[in-house]
Amino acid sequence: MGLAARFLEEKGFSTAVLTPTWEFHRAVGIPRQVAIQYPYGRLVGQVGDTKGQRGIVKEALAFLQASETPGAVRHLPNRWPEPPKETHWHPPEMSPIIAANLEAIKKARRR
Amino acid sequence: MDNSEPIVDGFYFLPPGLAAWIQTFIPEHDFEGTIPWKPLEKPISETTFALVTSAGISCTGDTPFDMEREKSEPSWGDPTYRKIPRGVGETGIRVDHLHINTSYILQDINVILPIDRFAEFEEEGVIGRLADTHYSFYGFQWNGNGFLDQAVAPMAEQMAAEQVEAVFLTPA
Repeated sequence: MGLAARFLEEKGFSTAVLTPTWEFHRAVGIPRQVAIQYPYGRLVGQVGDTKGQRGIVKEALAFLQASETPGAVRHLPNRWPEPPKETHWHPPEMSPIIAANLEAIKKARRR
Repeated sequence: MDNSEPIVDGFYFLPPGLAAWIQTFIPEHDFEGTIPWKPLEKPISETTFALVTSAGISCTGDTPFDMEREKSEPSWGDPTYRKIPRGVGETGIRVDHLHINTSYILQDINVILPIDRFAEFEEEGVIGRLADTHYSFYGFQWNGNGFLDQAVAPMAEQMAAEQVEAVFLTPA
């Protein structure tokens, strides 16, 4: 998503990316990020939580207006109400790239 | 950093091995290249917005994102995009993505593409205008940047035609 934001910014659009993995900025150089510690697939909030979703979007809009530095990151204080194992963010089947790299993943964990 | 809020742990929800593996793709040093930068030149309340997600959302009747090829070629991800009109409801979409649980988006599209929230903000005067067209591409792009030409470039053309000035993006 960082590359898409860069492309759009080069075309003259102001962008804000809402993401947990803000550290990819170091690989890509992302213009503006709003970092959120929510599970992938529900970055704006819980199903049906209109108030919570509005709050997240409003924070992103405020940051879009206020940010002055390329590469800016705003860390939101919001935290997901469930522990990781109860979020069920993952797909029903292991993704193909994970299945193809299980040994590398095990090796990374041992480091 | 722009504030003193607690730092977000981007890998909090991932299993430790997967988190460690993904982090091997992130350099330890700061980004050293040029970062494109288009400051917002007017208040949010006068700005026209479009929304983009990489959640693999398509409208009913459109060609869905290609999951079958990725299953046989694990490093391939569909590089195309789909238009999503404002006002589309959960019954008008499908979601194809092999890296997330898509069921929540099918219950409430706003959890990843907050079209209804932006429409509310338009009505309340918080934003200037919400464009007629929004967009999804597919977040898994492991093999090159072809999606920039095949997805993001045509999206940008449509955004320009709709006088969009700012874009809110959510990855998946």
